[in-house]
Amino acid sequence: MRITAEAKAETRQRILQTATDLFQSQGWQNTTTREIAITAGIATGTLFNYFPTKEAIVADLIADAMKRAGEGFYAAERDANSLEADLFTLIWSGFSKLREFRNFLGPAMETIFSPLARSSAGSPGDAIRADHLEQVDAIVTTHGFPGPRSVVAVQLYWTLFLGVFAFWVEDDSPGQEDTLALLDRSLSLFVASLGMVDERKTQ
Amino acid sequence: MNVSELIAALPEDDFSSAANAGLAQERIREILADLAQRPVPTGSLHRLWSVSELSAQIALAYLAWWIRQWFSNAEVSKRRQMETNLRVALKLFHRLGYLRGAMAKVGQALGNLPILVPEQVAETLDRLHAESPPMHFPLIREVVRNEFGKGADELFADFDKEAFAAASLGQVHRARLKSGESVAVKIQYPGIARTIDADFRNLSALLLPLRLGKDWESVKGHFEEIRRMLSQEVDYLQEAESTRRARELFRPEDGIVVPNVYSEYSGTRVLTTDYLNGLHLREYLATNPTQASRNAFGTKMYVAWLRMYFACMPYGDPHPGNYLFLPDGRLGLIDFGCVQHYGPEERELTRLADRMSHEDSSLMQEVVRRVCGVSPEDPAFPEYLGMMEQSRDWMLEPDDHPGPFDFGDEAHFQRGLDVTSRVVRNRTMRFHPMYIYWQRSVFGLKALLLRLRAQVDVHEAFRRERLALEHSN
Repeated sequence: MRITAEAKAETRQRILQTATDLFQSQGWQNTTTREIAITAGIATGTLFNYFPTKEAIVADLIADAMKRAGEGFYAAERDANSLEADLFTLIWSGFSKLREFRNFLGPAMETIFSPLARSSAGSPGDAIRADHLEQVDAIVTTHGFPGPRSVVAVQLYWTLFLGVFAFWVEDDSPGQEDTLALLDRSLSLFVASLGMVDERKTQ
Repeated sequence: MNVSELIAALPEDDFSSAANAGLAQERIREILADLAQRPVPTGSLHRLWSVSELSAQIALAYLAWWIRQWFSNAEVSKRRQMETNLRVALKLFHRLGYLRGAMAKVGQALGNLPILVPEQVAETLDRLHAESPPMHFPLIREVVRNEFGKGADELFADFDKEAFAAASLGQVHRARLKSGESVAVKIQYPGIARTIDADFRNLSALLLPLRLGKDWESVKGHFEEIRRMLSQEVDYLQEAESTRRARELFRPEDGIVVPNVYSEYSGTRVLTTDYLNGLHLREYLATNPTQASRNAFGTKMYVAWLRMYFACMPYGDPHPGNYLFLPDGRLGLIDFGCVQHYGPEERELTRLADRMSHEDSSLMQEVVRRVCGVSPEDPAFPEYLGMMEQSRDWMLEPDDHPGPFDFGDEAHFQRGLDVTSRVVRNRTMRFHPMYIYWQRSVFGLKALLLRLRAQVDVHEAFRRERLALEHSN
């Protein structure tokens, strides 16, 4: 049983690696699931057992990077940072872990995170969104903003986050310094909006 | 920011009567409304968002108001002045801290002219340098990582996460090198350097339609000079080089300190130098220093300024944030971002102007021809000649004065402003671009010495510096 689990994990990893290599070398659009399966030495049907779509493969990479960023955030020694600084650390750490995949994240994101798509529950984009918002919510709470968040606050955050993410993917400024500035400003805006919501509550 | 450019851009109303002042105010409102509706170039969108429209408008409105004061009758404006200034100063204080582009430089320039900008505004703008909202540490870490491949906490033995000073385009942190030296690390807000051009396009878009005429070519040259200098100012590698060159100019007996640059900890966005422990002008004045102490510091400021000028690298931005009053009486000079480096053409013009000022006043016509590009056949030549005479006389006032000259004399400073306002009013605005920063440098220095109320034996200092220069050549 354990061997099977290990074999599964190994296959899964091989698929991810193969897909990443192909996306890198020939582009997201030009790579098919069939090609990934052949290069990974598995049947196409087997691949679908792991990842139903190309998007699911990329979503897995993103989910993994963001999960590790969250774990890293709590594992690291932190000073008494501001809320902006903590959120900045979490998000930038996620981006850093995704940096090597930057050149194919853009086209994949269009499908995974399309703001207009009414995706079915349990789609990879939704799972990433839910996990990330949970991390953010925990951090916001520790900074004295108890939940539950309003739908508007959550959507505002997610809109800013996706906007920065999409910008970062295409950002060719040195060291992606424009994204650093954009993320900084976006988080200031978000935190300011939390304060505004707070003020309204107390009125 | 060059003041004459902005003055030139304003409508040519006569501001001297209350009715006309009202008209002018209306016109300024129109300019600002126009600015707000101007289509935003896509490439600048992000920039305009950071440098919020409102902030830019406040800075501009204040500038417009301030320039109007220049022309207005002092008695009419006196009462309004205090309340308006305070209100605007507070707005500037809250807003300018977030402006980290060219508009912030406007704020800096305002704080530098205490006669035009009343004391409380000057102080507020001073404080801005020390108290503007900082970048948080995770952001700092990434900027440092972009430069050196390591975060600030890995690169330095200690790194103070709170900034101790704000630069207009970034902030300064104390740190300790692994080799033990106590250093100041200046860090630039990410992306700002590349926005200077966008800022300039926006500013030009505002000014272009307002300023047409025979001087336009000259004005364009001036703009280019400001853009060039601002681009230089945000390149910390160039600042490092200017700092090194300036440091070589001073010896221990001068009592003037330029911090050492640590190249291996410096890059385009990060500049690491020795940390100098001293007071800023405002803090120094608050200790109620003796006249002798003010004079000694004033003399060092003058000598430092003159020596850099003689070295053909004039200090273009002598504002209060760039001087430190050290407890042992030495003067610390920091921030060499805004230093001009004269090439052969500028050096030649400088020599010519110096000879005219100190040796042969008959060279005046030649100076007008070369510096202003106005030939004796030009109908405007007599006006230019008159302007040049007045400028020279004002410049040389301290030098011609026997013994210490009292820079605390507001009348002297006012005469300089009068000369400049005549230049603007008579539209004798054609001059070599190098003089934009030269003018700012002279006014900046004299404004500082005025706030310091220092008496400086300019004649003697000039003589000594000249002699030293001749010896070294």
